[in-house]
Amino acid sequence: MELHSDETIWYFFKKGETNAFSILFKKYYPQLHVYGLKLSNNQEITEDCLQNFFIQLFEEREKETTIKNLKAYLFVSFKRRLIKQLQKNQNNLPISEAQLFKNNFTFSAEEISIHQEIQFLCTSTLAHLINNLSPRQKEVLYLKYYSGMSSADIAEVMDMNYQSVLNVLQKALIKLRKSSENQQIKNILKKS
Amino acid sequence: MDNKNKFDLNYFLTDASFENWARGINKNDITYWNNWIQNNPDYVETVENAKAIINGINFNQDYPSKEKVNEVLLSILPEIRLDSVSNKKPAYKKKSHTTLLTAAAAVLLVLISWTSYSYYTNDSQTVHKTNYGEIIDLKLPDGTSVVLNGNSEISYDKETPRLLHLKGEAYFKVKPIPSTNAKFWVITNDLKVEVLGTHFHVNTRKQKTNVVLDEGSIHLEFINGEVTKMIPGEMVSFSKESKKIIHKRVDIKTPYALWRGGTYAFNEIPLEDVMLNLELTYGLEVQYSSNELKKIPISGGIPNQNLKICIAAIEKATGTRIINKGNILRVLENPIY
Repeated sequence: MELHSDETIWYFFKKGETNAFSILFKKYYPQLHVYGLKLSNNQEITEDCLQNFFIQLFEEREKETTIKNLKAYLFVSFKRRLIKQLQKNQNNLPISEAQLFKNNFTFSAEEISIHQEIQFLCTSTLAHLINNLSPRQKEVLYLKYYSGMSSADIAEVMDMNYQSVLNVLQKALIKLRKSSENQQIKNILKKS
Repeated sequence: MDNKNKFDLNYFLTDASFENWARGINKNDITYWNNWIQNNPDYVETVENAKAIINGINFNQDYPSKEKVNEVLLSILPEIRLDSVSNKKPAYKKKSHTTLLTAAAAVLLVLISWTSYSYYTNDSQTVHKTNYGEIIDLKLPDGTSVVLNGNSEISYDKETPRLLHLKGEAYFKVKPIPSTNAKFWVITNDLKVEVLGTHFHVNTRKQKTNVVLDEGSIHLEFINGEVTKMIPGEMVSFSKESKKIIHKRVDIKTPYALWRGGTYAFNEIPLEDVMLNLELTYGLEVQYSSNELKKIPISGGIPNQNLKICIAAIEKATGTRIINKGNILRVLENPIY
């Protein structure tokens, strides 16, 4: 049960209420923490960056005037900050996002549970299949099913249009389905 | 040609009843979509993909614990307090501050809940749709209330929440905006209703549109370009096919808008017309054992939210027997009468 809607929290946050800061922090720190870890694979950088992000958000609260969607806004601005930090750590070499995040969004078997349609796969196989998708596909899957974002929010975070989000989702899931079918056939052949 | 684009991935993903089907949670929705797929085999692939997107992947979320979050919060609070005015205030003052936040938050929440319908939809288009036999009350972003009857649909663009498209049947209580005189429009296949602030009822079933005005005044613009003004208590029917405009006085207290409360009220209406309402609200087919039966007049109120009770009431009112088999209602003479 949510006591405060994002609009309410943000309204008082902007007014400088430290209570609103705490509420916002408790609500979004966990989600952004995991998102940052998945992006960077680095706990120290993620945590430092995230703390500074919240402090800066509060200090500069008056600058942000029109925020339609708080969750998407937080994800996208935290991501930007994290990228900057990671680039700094690489001695400011202009590294592309794609290069930087080559190995991001890796999932372990424990993080995945299997629902009926793909019952025949074990979680470690499914994790392996997901980890082999493109970084973009993995991030969209993560935002959709781990963070529970709407496709419109994802479009904002990933700087894509709504239709492309659907296309990426569709392609990723078709690919998963195909490779899980292949995997299943392999398993059967191994046994016989 | 339009149809081909209509049933795209997004069409299914934004349909609440489709989502129920994909998750296998609502019996009505499951039946409806299973039938739909059988009748539209061309879309099987899109349907499969939409279903995969809805079901997705189950992640076991592993978020940092509450304790850890609080720990971090406590460590950074002093830093932001330096920046905040409330920093050096004594403890009791801070407390009254908190109460203020809660009280003001409550007021704000109420306001927000009025406008939340279109707030989080994925697209610029907001659609509200009802299943067979389902009646819903809606509040539009501008404060207008709508009662949407079963098997009906209204849609509007976020940018223009006072311009609606209607399929099926609905009752509107338009909220006037005196400061700007903002108008309100309802568009159907046959006509456009233009409103300032009023209560009226629109029904687009039976290949025509009926508009009944309860209160206020409205303009109608028909698809053939003709324009007419309506007065309270009047019903206007129009259909693209017949191009005939019919004005009729109706008793607004009884027959027309009563389904809002869950009852259809009829005044000497032939059984055939009454059953047509059921066909459209519940998606059934009606057959008669003789043509005589179609003409039996019905007066009185018939509950419309439960098909069984509804059929029992009609049987009683007409002295017939109605057998419900599959999706077909057979009306027979009752030997007892």
